[in-house]
Amino acid sequence: MPPKQRTGTASAPSTSASRPSKSSSNAQAQDILQGVWNKYVSKTPQRTKLLDTFMAFLVAVGALQFLYVVLVGNFPFNAFLSGFSATVGQFVLTASLRMQTNAENKAEFESISHERAFADFVFGSLLLHFFCVNFIN
Amino acid sequence: MRWLLSFTVAFVCTVVVQAKSFTGNRLLVVLEEQAEREKYSVFLEDLTSRGFTTNVESPKADKLSLLRHGERAYDHVLLLPAKSKGLGPALTANNLLEFMKKEGNILVALSSEQATPTAVQALLLELDINIPSDKGALVVDHFNYDSSSASEQHDVLLLPFPAAVRPDVKNYFAGEGYIAVPRAVGQSLGNESPLISPVLRAPSTAYSYNPKDEAEGVEDPFAVGEQLNLVSAMQANNAARFAIVGSAEMLQNKWFAEKATLGEKVITTANREFAQKLSEWTFKETGVLKVGKFLHYQDEGASKKLNTSLAIPENNPTIYRIKTDVHFQVEISEYTNDHLAPFVPSPSDNIQLEFSMLSPFQRLNLSPIAQTANATIFGVAFKTPDQHGIFNFRLNYRRPFLTNVDEKRQVTVRHFAHDEWPRSWQISGAWVWIGGIWVTVLGWVAFVAVWLYSAPSERSVKKTQ
Repeated sequence: MPPKQRTGTASAPSTSASRPSKSSSNAQAQDILQGVWNKYVSKTPQRTKLLDTFMAFLVAVGALQFLYVVLVGNFPFNAFLSGFSATVGQFVLTASLRMQTNAENKAEFESISHERAFADFVFGSLLLHFFCVNFIN
Repeated sequence: MRWLLSFTVAFVCTVVVQAKSFTGNRLLVVLEEQAEREKYSVFLEDLTSRGFTTNVESPKADKLSLLRHGERAYDHVLLLPAKSKGLGPALTANNLLEFMKKEGNILVALSSEQATPTAVQALLLELDINIPSDKGALVVDHFNYDSSSASEQHDVLLLPFPAAVRPDVKNYFAGEGYIAVPRAVGQSLGNESPLISPVLRAPSTAYSYNPKDEAEGVEDPFAVGEQLNLVSAMQANNAARFAIVGSAEMLQNKWFAEKATLGEKVITTANREFAQKLSEWTFKETGVLKVGKFLHYQDEGASKKLNTSLAIPENNPTIYRIKTDVHFQVEISEYTNDHLAPFVPSPSDNIQLEFSMLSPFQRLNLSPIAQTANATIFGVAFKTPDQHGIFNFRLNYRRPFLTNVDEKRQVTVRHFAHDEWPRSWQISGAWVWIGGIWVTVLGWVAFVAVWLYSAPSERSVKKTQ
C-alpha cells in the first residue's frame, strides 16, 4: 500500500505541473494556425482561394480512387490508370495555373498574361479529359 | 463432299459385288494338297455362303501372286498348313507383309504335325509373335482336356469362349459353349508391340511340350499358363488384320460339332461358331469403324445446346476466336456383317476429341447425342483456349480389334479483334474509376465557371498591380 500511495503523491504534482504548460503550447499552436488561416483568408486573392479549393477537391477524389484500388483490387487496370491519372493530371495543370497567376510570381511570368495562362489551362485540361475518356474505353 | 463420295462408293460396292466384308470378297485359300480340301469343306462353304469368292490354290502354283500390277490380287488370304517346309516364291514373308501393307488380311492356321513353313516363321518373327522352334511341340493341359478323344495325351483342350481382353474393349469372339483346340501350337506375344492381342488364351494349367522329347519331365517349357495363346491377332496401323490359329484342326469339319467329354460332362464343341467369329473379324466383317460427317461450328445463339439436327452441312469454319464456344460432332458407324450400324463403344470406354496445337489444349470425352439409321452422332461443346495459333480438331481412337480412327481438321484460332473487347461500362469493376473521371471533369467545369464568374474588378486588379 505505501508504495502505491507514494506514486500517487509523486505523480500528482507532475501532472498538475505539465497540464498548464501543455495547454499553453496548444494554445500557441492554435494561435499560430489561426494566424496563418486569418492571414490566408484576408491576404489571398479570391481566385487563388478558388484554385486551392479545386486542388483540395482533386486530392480527395484521387485519394478515394487509390483507396478503392488498395481495398478492392485493380481490375480493370486501364480504368484505374485513367481515373487516377485524370485527377493527378488535373492537379498538375491546376498547380501550374496557380503558379502563373500568383501575384508573387509576377517577376518570373512577366510575358504571360493571366488570360493566356487560363487559356493554356483550359486547352491542357480538355486534352487530358479526352485522353482519359479514350483510355478507359 | 468427302462423306457424300464415300457413301456413293459404298452404295455402288454393295450393289455390284454384294460383299459382306468391308474391304472386298476375293479370298485366296492356300492349300498344298487338294485332297485336304474335304477336311475344311464346311468352313470354306461357310465362307462362300457369307459372300466370299474362294480361290483354292496350291502354294506351288505358277500363276499364284498376292499382288498384281502393284495392287493386291486378293482381299484376304487363308493359309492352311502344308507338308513342305517352304511355301514357294509367291508366298515369302516379304510378299505377305507387302500384301498387308496393301491392307490385305491374313488368317494363318498352324499345325503341330507339320512343320511351320519358314515364310510363316519369318512373318511371325516380324510381328513379334513367337512360336516354339521345334516341330511337334503342342499345348497340353491335364485339367481341361477332352477325355473321350485324348484321354491319354491330354492334348485336346476344351475351352469356353474368350472373355473381353480388357473391360473397355468390345468382345468380338463371345459365344456359348466350348471350343475344342486339338494339338495346338502355342504362341507367346512380345511385349513391345501394341498391335498384337490375344484372342484365345490357354488356361492357367496348360503348358507347351514336345511329345518327341525323351526327357521324363518338361524342363524349361516354351511357355506356360496364360502366357500361351492358342489364337492371337494383330491389327496393323493401316488396319490390315492378321490372325493366327494354333491348331488347324480346329477349323476342320471333324471338330465343328463333335461330341466331347470335359470331366464328366458330355458336350458338343462349338468350333463352327468360333471359326465364323474369328474369320468374320479377320476378314473385316466386324469391328470396322467408319467416320461420317465431321462437323464443328461456333455457337453464336442464345441456345447453348448441341444441335442434333442431321441437316447441317459439313461447312466447317476455318477460323475461330480465342475463348469462343465451339460445338463439335462426328458420325461414327460400325460395320457388322453386311451393314453399317450405329457404333456403341463399351460402357467403360470413351471416344475423345483433342483440340491440339502440338499438344492437346483440350481432351474431351464425346457423348452420344443422336443416332441415325447407321451411325451414332457423338458430340461435345467446349470453349476454345486462351491461346491463338493453328489448332487441330483431332479424333484419335485406337482400340484392340477395332479399326483405327485418326481424323484431323485444322483451324486457325485468332486473338480478339480490337473492337471485340468489352467496353468499360460493361465491366462493373470499372464503374468507380469512370465515376472518378467524370467527377474530375464536372469539378473542372464548375471550377472554370466560378473562375470566370469571379473575375477581379478593375479596381482590385489595379490594386494588386
